Amino acid sequence: MVYHDLCRKKKRVILQFLEIVSFSALTLLYAKGQEPVDTIQENLAAMDGKLNSLDERVALQESELGKLAKIKVSGYIQAQFQAYQSGSLKTDKDPKNTFFIRRARIKFTYEALDGVKFVLQPDFSTGNLSLKDAYAVASLPKLPSLSLWAGQFNRPNYEVEYSSSQREVLERSRVILNVYPGEREVGARLEFNPVKIPLKLQFAVLNGNFTGNQQKDVDTRKDVMARATYSLKLTGAGIGIDFGAHAYTGGLMAKNRYLLDYENNMDSTESNAGSYLLKQWGGLEVQVFYDFLGGMALKGEYLAGKNAFAGDSESNPNKIKSFSGYYIYLIKNIGIRNQLVGRFDNFDPNTRLSGNAAGNDIYYNTLTLAWQHYLNDNIRFSVSYEMPQNEKNTANPDDISDNIFSVRMQARF
Amino acid sequence: MMAITAIIIITSAFVAPVKITVKGSDTMVILAQRWAEIYMKKNPEAAIQVTGGGSGVGIAALINGTTDIANSSRPIKTTEVEKLKARYNTLGVEVPCAKDGITVFLHESNKIQQLTLQQLSDIYKAKVTNWKQLGGEDAPIKLYGRENNSGTYVFFKEEVIKGDYAASCQTLPGTAAVVNAVKKDKYGIGYGGAAYAEGVKHCKVSLKTGSAGVLPTPETIANNQYPITRYLYLYLRTRPAGDLKKYIDWILSAEGQKVVTEVGYFPVK
Repeated sequence: MVYHDLCRKKKRVILQFLEIVSFSALTLLYAKGQEPVDTIQENLAAMDGKLNSLDERVALQESELGKLAKIKVSGYIQAQFQAYQSGSLKTDKDPKNTFFIRRARIKFTYEALDGVKFVLQPDFSTGNLSLKDAYAVASLPKLPSLSLWAGQFNRPNYEVEYSSSQREVLERSRVILNVYPGEREVGARLEFNPVKIPLKLQFAVLNGNFTGNQQKDVDTRKDVMARATYSLKLTGAGIGIDFGAHAYTGGLMAKNRYLLDYENNMDSTESNAGSYLLKQWGGLEVQVFYDFLGGMALKGEYLAGKNAFAGDSESNPNKIKSFSGYYIYLIKNIGIRNQLVGRFDNFDPNTRLSGNAAGNDIYYNTLTLAWQHYLNDNIRFSVSYEMPQNEKNTANPDDISDNIFSVRMQARF
Repeated sequence: MMAITAIIIITSAFVAPVKITVKGSDTMVILAQRWAEIYMKKNPEAAIQVTGGGSGVGIAALINGTTDIANSSRPIKTTEVEKLKARYNTLGVEVPCAKDGITVFLHESNKIQQLTLQQLSDIYKAKVTNWKQLGGEDAPIKLYGRENNSGTYVFFKEEVIKGDYAASCQTLPGTAAVVNAVKKDKYGIGYGGAAYAEGVKHCKVSLKTGSAGVLPTPETIANNQYPITRYLYLYLRTRPAGDLKKYIDWILSAEGQKVVTEVGYFPVK
């Protein structure tokens, strides 16, 4: 927009210049009607030369500004205050509340051509300087619906890809945080998103060991992830339903023989070292949008499968777990500035064991209530109260007092 | 009596003026202004503010909450619907309010009378660069088009060019500017809404080689015989209620649709 405005301004300047030239010429004709025509023609020629030179300069600047217009800078800062119940603290000397920067991101996007872009997004939040996104996307001119991604990008999952600058609850649900730590992965991805059909297909080949910090793959085998979503629109009723499924399959190489199996039994068989531990799960998702007294939405996803975690010693062995979890959001917009939100989520990190046998692999049910207020398109205030409830057993006889109250101000540009 | 008068005065002081903001398509700006003028005359309590900027700008304003109605000369994009979902949990409401034929403008002295959709595509992709290749004079073709925030730009790109515009295409702000440029350029070609076409030649357009060329007329646009026909839309965040609904209903009424014809577009009802 800025670029176009500048161009318009320059064109206006040229037009004004032309008007002045014409006016000057007419004035000359009127005032110096007796002067030889040659002089007037000379003056006009001189003006014409100046105009041409100005035109060249404008064209040059337009060309330079055109290059700058390909770079887009966006980002957001989330300044937050949090208060914790004692159960959330590691020691009783830890602070019970704090101000901190939850996220501070600048996203640079360079759109080299139609369908070709490069994205770089660092994060400067408190105690953290990390690279979030670093990828290139390219689509074929003959098949613009198909794009190839390469680099570090979000894993193809609804809650993972839903930006925290828009998400109605401050943090992602417990199951997603556990299954997709760090949200991103390094690899390549194909995305098919036809213009005329509300279908989206995503297929990714990933290292499979991302936890928030960049690193190379720790084994030779790559993990594979696929997701398909479809959007239904019931225009007359003001209802939209998006639904889909995703699947993940891969593995993790055990670097030593110590393995805690699905029932939390230690297996120290020598052949465990070098074996691939299965990571395999699937998920179903649905999002319903309803234009009822302003907008409202019901969103949910269920995931279940087997996951694996790398260990480095007998005291911190490799682990394999069966897990399941889900989340449900209910969101109601009040006017164009406010949103009330309730989310219930569940995560069971070890579905094979329950009660005392589960030890610390207990399940959590978390209810989060939140309110969002948009001061304008750039500023959003959020208030959230998170109330986790844990499974009780001899290791955890009571519900841990780990509720969290948060207030956030987000500035987006 | 005095008490009643006082109540009326006090009550009327609290009746807020009905303010509706409309933003978007430059193609639709004259139509939207006429609608607003007539409606405000009939409803003095209404204050309707109309601005242009392009369809993309209007829809962006709808998403960021700075306009009540977005005028758009192209259908809303999937990415824009996704933004409405994320921010308002709605899909937006699409109201087709008029029909338009995108007219291809040529200079009045140009010998060319008719072009196929394929030829138009080739011209704007710069595969065909001289009028001689199309049976005209031996002169380079000068391309004029709209800026990329324009719905007309997007519609022409997707429905006619089916690819990227040539880098040589000079972009101009508004159909009136395109018409003006072609009017002055003997070898120019441009496109835009039919309502703006004065002082230039309208080129017949045919679906393919050998088929009859069609001029954009009320009949050929109404019955979709003219190949480059489109709807013009109003977009809202949610289903309209109250004063906004009253205004939309009026636009779609016989009176509102009469304005469509007067401005040079074609009614949807």
